[in-house]
Amino acid sequence: MYQSFVGLEIHIQLLTQTKVFCNCRANFGDEPNTNVCPVCMGYPGVLPTLNEQAIEMAYTVARALNCDLNPECVFDRKNYFYPDLPKNYQISQFHEPLGRNGYIDLEFHKKKKRIRIHEIHLEEDAGKMIHAGDMSLLDYNRAGTPLLEIVTEPDLEIGEEAEVLLQELRRMVRYLGVCDGNMEQGSMRCDANVSVNTRGAGLGSKVEIKNLNSSRFVRKALSFEIERQQEILERGGTITQETRLWNENRDLTESMRTKESAHDYRYFPEPDLPHFRTSDEFLTRVESRLVELPAARRARFVADYGVTAAQAEFLCDEKSTADYFEAAIAAGAEAETVATWLAGDVRKQLNRHGVELTDSPLTPTRLAELLSLLAAGTIHGKIAKQVLALVFDEDKDPRVIITEQGWEQITDPAEIRAVVDRVLADNPKALGQIQSGDGKPMGFLVGQIMKATNGRAEPRVVQQVLSQAVSVSTIEVYSFGGAIAGHRQEDGLVVPGDLMSLTSLFERDPELPEGIRFEELQLGQFLSEEITPADWATLITRTATSLDRGSSRGIVVGHGTDTLSYTSSLLYWFFADTAVPIVLTASTVPTEAGIRSDAVENLRASVRTAAGEDRGIHVVYGRDDFFALNLKFERSGFTAVPRDSEDAPVADSEGFYAGQFRNWNADGLQRAGRAVAPTGRTMEPAALTQAMEVAIARSHIVKAYPGMRGETLIAIMDAGVKYFVLEIYDTGTANLRESPFSLRRAFAHARDRGVLFFCTSQQEGVVDFSEYVTAHALWREGAIPMGRLTTESAWTRLIAAQVEATAAGDTADDAAFTDRVLSLMED
Amino acid sequence: MWDRILSDARDEYARFLREQDAPTASFLEIGAPPQWSAPVSAEHDDALSASRPSVTFPIAVKDNIAVKGYHLSCGSRMLQDLVSPYDAAAVTRLRHAGAQFVGKTNMDEFGMGSSTDTSALGRTSNPWDTERVAGGSSGGSAAAVAQQLVPVALGSDTGGSIRQPAAFCGVYGLKPTYGTVSRYGLVAYASSLEVVGVLGSDIDHVADTYRAMRGEDAQDHTSVAVPGEALQPAAADAVKTIGVLQGDLGLDESVARNYAATAEALRDLGYNVVPIDLSTLEYVVPAYYTIAAAEASANLARFNGVRYGHRPVFSENPEELMRQARSEAFGDEVKLRIVLGTYVLRSGFQDQYYTRAQKIRTLIRRELDARFGEVDLILSPTFPVQAFRHGDQAMDAFQQKVADRFTGTANLAAIPALTVPSGLEGGLPVGMQLMGPAFSEEKLFAVAGRLATVQPVVFPDGSRSFDEWRTANGAGGGA
Repeated sequence: MYQSFVGLEIHIQLLTQTKVFCNCRANFGDEPNTNVCPVCMGYPGVLPTLNEQAIEMAYTVARALNCDLNPECVFDRKNYFYPDLPKNYQISQFHEPLGRNGYIDLEFHKKKKRIRIHEIHLEEDAGKMIHAGDMSLLDYNRAGTPLLEIVTEPDLEIGEEAEVLLQELRRMVRYLGVCDGNMEQGSMRCDANVSVNTRGAGLGSKVEIKNLNSSRFVRKALSFEIERQQEILERGGTITQETRLWNENRDLTESMRTKESAHDYRYFPEPDLPHFRTSDEFLTRVESRLVELPAARRARFVADYGVTAAQAEFLCDEKSTADYFEAAIAAGAEAETVATWLAGDVRKQLNRHGVELTDSPLTPTRLAELLSLLAAGTIHGKIAKQVLALVFDEDKDPRVIITEQGWEQITDPAEIRAVVDRVLADNPKALGQIQSGDGKPMGFLVGQIMKATNGRAEPRVVQQVLSQAVSVSTIEVYSFGGAIAGHRQEDGLVVPGDLMSLTSLFERDPELPEGIRFEELQLGQFLSEEITPADWATLITRTATSLDRGSSRGIVVGHGTDTLSYTSSLLYWFFADTAVPIVLTASTVPTEAGIRSDAVENLRASVRTAAGEDRGIHVVYGRDDFFALNLKFERSGFTAVPRDSEDAPVADSEGFYAGQFRNWNADGLQRAGRAVAPTGRTMEPAALTQAMEVAIARSHIVKAYPGMRGETLIAIMDAGVKYFVLEIYDTGTANLRESPFSLRRAFAHARDRGVLFFCTSQQEGVVDFSEYVTAHALWREGAIPMGRLTTESAWTRLIAAQVEATAAGDTADDAAFTDRVLSLMED
Repeated sequence: MWDRILSDARDEYARFLREQDAPTASFLEIGAPPQWSAPVSAEHDDALSASRPSVTFPIAVKDNIAVKGYHLSCGSRMLQDLVSPYDAAAVTRLRHAGAQFVGKTNMDEFGMGSSTDTSALGRTSNPWDTERVAGGSSGGSAAAVAQQLVPVALGSDTGGSIRQPAAFCGVYGLKPTYGTVSRYGLVAYASSLEVVGVLGSDIDHVADTYRAMRGEDAQDHTSVAVPGEALQPAAADAVKTIGVLQGDLGLDESVARNYAATAEALRDLGYNVVPIDLSTLEYVVPAYYTIAAAEASANLARFNGVRYGHRPVFSENPEELMRQARSEAFGDEVKLRIVLGTYVLRSGFQDQYYTRAQKIRTLIRRELDARFGEVDLILSPTFPVQAFRHGDQAMDAFQQKVADRFTGTANLAAIPALTVPSGLEGGLPVGMQLMGPAFSEEKLFAVAGRLATVQPVVFPDGSRSFDEWRTANGAGGGA
């Protein structure tokens, strides 16, 4: 096993008005050689003068990175000849960097780490040389702009961590307003030092990698380089100490120069600049520049506003977004709702219009207004989205739009009651049907009421008022295939069918509350193994509509046993925030004429749960009310046979069969929580089907087994799979020992292509990569531990996450999409 | 007198300069009168400006100090064609005080030499004997003053570059306290050692020129304000005790004789003259050359032919261009010091050379601090010999360096030092050096003023003042 050590040298360009040692504008994008003067052009006789703003910013960063601050800011000359360096020495800091012994805290794939900062120093940038044909062109606009170099200790292990560090540092300097953090444009640059050695043997030979102008390249180059060095060591070779360049076109590092030809920079104290002493007044100014940094703000958002870590990360990525979020809350909006809307529908509008949040017509006040109108029931969800779109199109206040469009809902129960009474009077037949126990006409009546109010009646109030008027409440029952809805043919084979009529079944069930009516819906006739993405889309759309309307007291879904764990967890990821119980159930034996089936008992129990108060997703089977996540259908060897056969499963006296499900890692599971795809569930059915089909096609479940070949996984990736759920052993181990059966090459291949591995356990282990060297190695390879989640639950979350990312419009580039998916996969 | 000439007789004066400079060739460039003065922006200097003297005379400037519109060659092929786009801070201050800048004087290439013979752009000779050198590196400025072409010339002093040529040519040469005159516009050779200073034939002119230049400058962060009490001319009794450096100083007989006579003259003037020694003296030259070469190796790195300066006819690529430019355009002495400086700064060797030199520098400074607790000023020779002949036979480059120990002391200690002309020996001038603690320039002027009453400045026979020249040419009339 090998160990890798990675340290970064990060240069950030400080956003000062003028250059660090002269009064030229620090604006290097201008017409070449326009922001220059004798000083920054290195004319004979000129002297540097220190820009105090640059020092102040530099100390601010050092302070933010928890460094010991040097009481004196002292400069040295770093000597090297290069045409773009006007003086052929760079004024820098060598002997006495302004900051030392700092740190930055990171988290990558659940592993928290403190990365030590070795030092921070201030220096001047060089100009830019471009070779054009047989000419070399020089632009000195950048020469002399202030550059802050941050050097970390070799505390990082893998490329992904380096990427996370750069992203966090980028956020930090943007928060502090000292740098725009743009790596593509070079205002933030990074060199990396890598050494790989046998575990426990300490640092190996250091290789420096240059030309890393995006955090993605840093990750890729480091992954490549660690892999390259590891292979050399495996072959018994030695690593040459050298400088290598990242070739972004070929995705590899290439040797640039070896140590022998390394520069001797001949540092010595800069005689033209006296020591700058940091006065109390100066340090006070530095303190006043500090703002709440991203990490602290994320923690506060989670603690104070109750948002999830993933939401906090999204909200705090840009200071402006975090400020916006808090402004909306100050304007009276509810935190969780703001977070959901910002990450979903608002983001979708921003993507569509190509504007930044802070430049958009949607001010925090307008968003708060929209959400409060929604919360007050003035408008319902669908209208709210239309209003949002119009705010972007017309730049008006939500209230104005609602008035103009005549979208204000009728929420006054008395007003609605009048309409309800009229409709009931007009439809005596439907009323009679309902009162005789058939809930079906409820939908028809709602439709009539909506029609009578031009769609302006608030659906929930309509539902309430109507329920009161007819003294019933509705439970929706969806038939979603499986044995529970099937029946046995003459030849003994079970074929798909419809659920039995519950109306007749529970006509006079003493255990049900009074006035329950059923609205039964046929969503699919199939056996559970035949479920398609379109079926799931139908189920989700229907559930979303029902919940949005608030039209039922609970929902029951009849399902087959085989894939129940998929559908139940999928419903959890889409609807964990449901206000009413959603109950899935199944049966072992189909209903048959004359034979008592567990279908009846399970349905009865489900209906009771659905009529109850325990909101969330339930799986009712036998006597048990299981959690929707981590469901395992565990009993094997069961064949459906007529009950009178000797092999038939034995039902107890009340007709329940022994529980055949179990929740893995049940501790800490919940029935209700946050939905992963609150935006995704509102998609049109066709779009949702499409999104699910794509998501499922991109995702693949693999179970590790002895002798599994990495090549197989590579072939699957090459077939277009982007995300794996990899079921491994125990708390997360797999074979990484160099052999045809090692997965390492597959992981390397995956990292090159941005393919992700989400790891679950075959053995009810909580995957956290904590215990074994091989498990840590998996973490190093970039695998993502899914904790307590089972394969099925992890996989459905992956589908939900992709649907959500698609719905929010994050499809423009692969990397952004994957980032979004990743954040939705984390708690 | 000079203000009349500068307003009414500029063309004639220009002619005088061209004609009279011929035997010594102290100028690299004599400006046409319109070039002499330039409009200066409204007074933006500090409150000191009110008390600044007017300096309404013509000034020649060493060619390593920037004067807008003039060349800034530093005596090097490298910068032969460079015209300065700006004024040095000292020049700006003098313009405010009424000075006019008539031309640029020759010098050792980038200030590296003691003879002005390392100049790549011309040979300057000593007005007392044109077979001999004017000293260096500010040899052109010293010769121009001795030749009576200008009353005052600016020079720069890194290790004696003002004082040694002043001694060779028999004029005053002031190396001020480090930082009292802004270095902005002085082409850097050894930044931590050098200063802009004044050469002149009249101590009052020298003093006024210095007073007009001194003071903190925002463009040079190493510049310092002269403390208030040191701004005023020194009282008659400000200097009581003068230490005279003793021991085997390795002086030529003539210089030794003159040195003794000068000490005696000071005693006669009523000063308490006491013998002192400096134990650090023998370390001055190695420490000085180590630091100067190290800084020079970085300071001269900017000359690479890319943005300005000498550029080869053809180069394959920018790197090659830099290599060729430097190879072609630097002289041997400059290359020697760059290589030496690069050597002492190598990683792994710094402790042995550069850092050790800095430690020695600290010791020298401490010893001088201690001496100035005992005496007000120190008298020493400026240079162990009088002006030597052109060419290597008289004194080779190494001997010249070793001879810098009296002058180098003041640069390492950052203190002011003034060469005063102390008469002739064998028909050639000799100059002695007075050193004082930081900011003691006014005391130096005071003592020099009194010494002038017994050892007045004399000019070489071949020289003519402008008035004499005008009378001789029968053109004097109107002025």
